[in-house]
Amino acid sequence: MTMALPTSPGNGRGRPLKRFQWLVEPYLYLSPAIILIALVILVPLVVGVSYAFQAIDLLNPFETGWVGFANFEKLWADRLFWKALTNTFWWTLGSLFFQFFLGLGLALLLNKPFAGRGLVQGLVFLPWAVPAFLSGLNWAWLFNPIIGPIPHWLAALGIMEKPQNILANPELALWGPIVANVWFGIPFFAITLLAALQSIPRDLYEAAAIDGASVWQSFIKITVPFLAPTIAITVMLRTIWIANFADLIYIMTGGGPANSTNIISSYIFTTAFRRLDFAYASTLAIALLVLLLAYAMLILQMRKHLVKGI
Amino acid sequence: MTAITLNSINKRFGPVHVLKDISLQFDKGEFVVLVGPSGCGKSTLLRMIAGLEPVSSGDMIFGDTRVNDLEPRERDIAMVFQSYALYPHMNVERNLGFSLELRKRAAAEKKDRTSHAAGILGLDKLLDRFPKALSGGQRQRVAMGRAIVRDPQIFLFDEPLSNLDAALRIEMRIEIAKLHQRLGTTMVYVTHDQVEAMTLADRIVVMNAGQVEQVGTPLDLYSNPANLFVAGFLGSPKMNFVAHDDAALNLPSSLTNPSAQTYGIRPEHIKVTAPDDTAHLVGTIDVVERLGSDTIFYINHGATKPFVVRVPGIDRTAIGEKIGCQFQPEDLHLFDQNGQAISEHKNG
Repeated sequence: MTMALPTSPGNGRGRPLKRFQWLVEPYLYLSPAIILIALVILVPLVVGVSYAFQAIDLLNPFETGWVGFANFEKLWADRLFWKALTNTFWWTLGSLFFQFFLGLGLALLLNKPFAGRGLVQGLVFLPWAVPAFLSGLNWAWLFNPIIGPIPHWLAALGIMEKPQNILANPELALWGPIVANVWFGIPFFAITLLAALQSIPRDLYEAAAIDGASVWQSFIKITVPFLAPTIAITVMLRTIWIANFADLIYIMTGGGPANSTNIISSYIFTTAFRRLDFAYASTLAIALLVLLLAYAMLILQMRKHLVKGI
Repeated sequence: MTAITLNSINKRFGPVHVLKDISLQFDKGEFVVLVGPSGCGKSTLLRMIAGLEPVSSGDMIFGDTRVNDLEPRERDIAMVFQSYALYPHMNVERNLGFSLELRKRAAAEKKDRTSHAAGILGLDKLLDRFPKALSGGQRQRVAMGRAIVRDPQIFLFDEPLSNLDAALRIEMRIEIAKLHQRLGTTMVYVTHDQVEAMTLADRIVVMNAGQVEQVGTPLDLYSNPANLFVAGFLGSPKMNFVAHDDAALNLPSSLTNPSAQTYGIRPEHIKVTAPDDTAHLVGTIDVVERLGSDTIFYINHGATKPFVVRVPGIDRTAIGEKIGCQFQPEDLHLFDQNGQAISEHKNG
């Protein structure tokens, strides 16, 4: 005796047409989003990358066309690129180091209860709310001996022989934007690390105290492991942001004096919009992208090991 | 020998007076249970013994040493937290041996002592696991194991079983009792569960609203509660309280006392009889709970609270039936107008 089998989902998947429909259907629903992402991210990315293999110089409008790896060969031989790369390294490392440790210190202080803590927490966030443009100008003035106090203080402390503008000194100029950037970036670390600190259960510290931990031991063995995943992700984000963050440098030194403070992203900006050499600017951008991608992958791998158990 | 002496200990959180003049002595090797309703200050007292909460006034003495100003790590104690407080980023083995790690003991000693503790608690196979991969009961064991590895003078337990389900709670209760027999260490245990208090304690401290209501052995507190609070707190179902002028009460003059305001009788000390003149109290059955081992009657005798009777075995008496209750004189508790027990009656 034959019986009609009850239909169940997936029935008829065996037939080719049905099977095709079943495979395509989800993508059909996703297609608006996919098309939008492709339009705003992928297309510009591909066009931008393709510039690196062409000659597009607005000051030389008749010499266009594909040039293969010529731009990359130029990059390899470019003294300014290597100088900018070194500057990028010190700019990023210097800013990040002080932002992180001062931010961590601030977060630890703000984690202790005291009168007026809410107000202080709000004030700490303030530098983050100031536009980079304004803080860059402010710091440039602060470093200027004619209107700013900092050179006079440094001279009074004996650190500087006489009040000078460090932004005019090729040896020291990069430290000007770094100081401004540290001031600007501390709140980010303070706020994110404070949030992470507050999520650590208090009874773990009590258990550790009973187990015999000193203050330093409970910091190293409880606080740091709990903060580690947050530290990894914030340090990674900040590294990428800082490496790309040319605003302060552009405003305070314009890359000078004598290119001594150019980082790659400010070099890209000047190459593209001052010298109008879009092809070479794109080549520089690809170099920076590759370096940052490698860095991000390294940090994400590290983070996997850090989050164990938490 | 005395392990812990508390001398008029007070605790204030700002204007709130949480603990009022607590004076207690715990003997070495004794299992003391602090019990009371939530908010009575028992956990605060335990945390003060641990050194996690400063003492506002009074002396806390371990052996002969005043420990008021000592850090927790200097007090030679171990504590099992209600939340277990396991270190989530360390595996079981490291959790167990963390106190030794902090003291920078040799790896061999650490291995020895952690595996000894793991052996006692049956954790041998879980040493590599992280706390998130453990069940509630296993976490509880690790928390206890951590305390065992510490090998302290005093064990402190802060409601350690309240996060477990009923069956596991009984199992772990037995395990804690065995642990105490085995180690013989002084243990102070905080709970709001009177069954845990009755089963585990050598001595129970009943607390209420920041004060000690009574201290004694479990059976002592059961048989001779000092006041209405202790009488009502220990025992399940609760002791019945009947006002001296309750119309349903029919006590012979030999059992009454002129200063008694309240008569108390435990549900398990009541004999069910015919509702005639010989009954000490008469009422109708409102609700019946048949547990198999016992039958519990909730009797309406005209007061707001039902009168509870517990008889052994299965009793088929139905709802709505009128029954009488009889008590033995020695089971009757008398309380004066201040709620204090009248003891002459018991002795005489």
